[in-house]
Amino acid sequence: MQRSVKKSNPRGKPKSGQPSPHPAWRWVGERGLRVATGDATLARYAELASRKLPEIEDVIPADGSLLLVFRQGAPISAELCAALAAPLAEVLPVSGTLHEIAVEYGGKAGPDLRALATRAGVGMSDFVSSHAAVEYTVAFLGFQPGFPYMRGLPAGLHAPRRASPRARVAAGSVAIGGAYCGIYPSAGPGGWQIIGRTAAVLFDPAHDAPALLLPGDRVRFVPA
Amino acid sequence: MIEVVRAGLCDLVMDPGRPGWGALGVPAGGAADAAALAAANRLVGNDVAAAGLEITLAGPLLRFPAGCVAALTGARFAAQRSSSAAVAWDETLVLSAGETLSLERAQDGCRCWLALRGGLAVPQVMGCRSTFLPGGFGGHLGRALQAGDRLACEPGAGRVRLLRAQPPARERAAPLRVVIGPQAGLFDDAGLAAFFAGSYRVNATSDRRGLRLSGPAVTHARVELPSQGVLPGAIQVPPDGQPIILGWDGPVTGGYPVIAGVIAADLPMLAQLQPGDAVRFTTIELEAAREQAAAQWDIEELG
Repeated sequence: MQRSVKKSNPRGKPKSGQPSPHPAWRWVGERGLRVATGDATLARYAELASRKLPEIEDVIPADGSLLLVFRQGAPISAELCAALAAPLAEVLPVSGTLHEIAVEYGGKAGPDLRALATRAGVGMSDFVSSHAAVEYTVAFLGFQPGFPYMRGLPAGLHAPRRASPRARVAAGSVAIGGAYCGIYPSAGPGGWQIIGRTAAVLFDPAHDAPALLLPGDRVRFVPA
Repeated sequence: MIEVVRAGLCDLVMDPGRPGWGALGVPAGGAADAAALAAANRLVGNDVAAAGLEITLAGPLLRFPAGCVAALTGARFAAQRSSSAAVAWDETLVLSAGETLSLERAQDGCRCWLALRGGLAVPQVMGCRSTFLPGGFGGHLGRALQAGDRLACEPGAGRVRLLRAQPPARERAAPLRVVIGPQAGLFDDAGLAAFFAGSYRVNATSDRRGLRLSGPAVTHARVELPSQGVLPGAIQVPPDGQPIILGWDGPVTGGYPVIAGVIAADLPMLAQLQPGDAVRFTTIELEAAREQAAAQWDIEELG
């Protein structure tokens, strides 16, 4: 067993251990194909999702990669290979919906705002102004249903996750985790730094469109 | 109609699940062994996608005021009927009006599935009747059954036939077959050797989100990884080196290195692991794994 592992994993060379049709392909089990997509992730996601290929059960965008989930036993079609190999000559303009989200910053709604502003070397109001001055793009959703990982956070506002996660974060909490801004759709444990809270409903499974924010959507925060 | 007289540890309404919502952060979920639930449905004359109950470790006491045609598949539980008739697994059961069915401790696995003629009539949420417990939606009010709950069934179609199912043969203590994962290259030889030579135990903190394992630490380069898409069976290794096998209700993205992925054909074995059970892994080549068909259940008339 051990021998076969070593054989398929030459030291220092990440390899799926399987003959992959493309060097950037990695397998997660035999049903999940991880494709490195870099800055073109959203464009590639939109393109693949619109094709509705019969062998694909789901396409999950993440940070610089897509996971294609195959139906069990389904063959990989030539159309899929072609779709993945086709250059996105111009990264398709991201034309997601723009959402304005009202946020109550600081205080009980944002218990980590003071410490983050101190860390950034600015006052709380300047921190809030910086946070609300830019437009964010939803890169992908994960962690909880409807939880958006948003890009666009000014570099000066980046902050590491909390050393010990909170046992309970309120629903609607607007948070910073590394280079990302996120919003907790429902109450639960969480390790990101909480700077404010919104009353917006991020996820409602009974709604036809359950998630308020979709990959590619744009967000502006409006101080309440 | 069923009445829950006593709830089990975690009785969940399940069907085949809701694939296709990963981009919204919602996993496919559904019965941990979809083929076993489908077989139970066939035994009661249902569509294979009808909703039934997934019962874990300790089962409920159910009462059927108007009687019911039912079937059990999966792990054997200590079980009794008020009629004192035997509780057979993998067979059509005909329960008379007012009869009760008590499912107690699991005896040789972790989960069984109970199909009821017509299927449980819970509303569809995101196109599916499965409970997604971490999100509190789907199934019966988004939660496990509680004493006092009453659940209706859809009307059954066609005549009732008495059937028996033959489950696929499985080697009980066989290692789980895995395809080497996207970050296997981040693990050093000692880490890979520990993982593949080691025997792990399932922790009591395991649930449908993931099976937490205890055993030899799997060492790896502690790099910050960008979040990547994951799916049930993916084996993540957090910094403490103790692997987590993602389950049916696990997250759709994760930031820990994935050393390997349990193949779909072996997820039914994962469904039967109890806390304390031993787990070992063996590799299978991608192409061989892709050729593994879902295990077949054979159904025949009861003679």
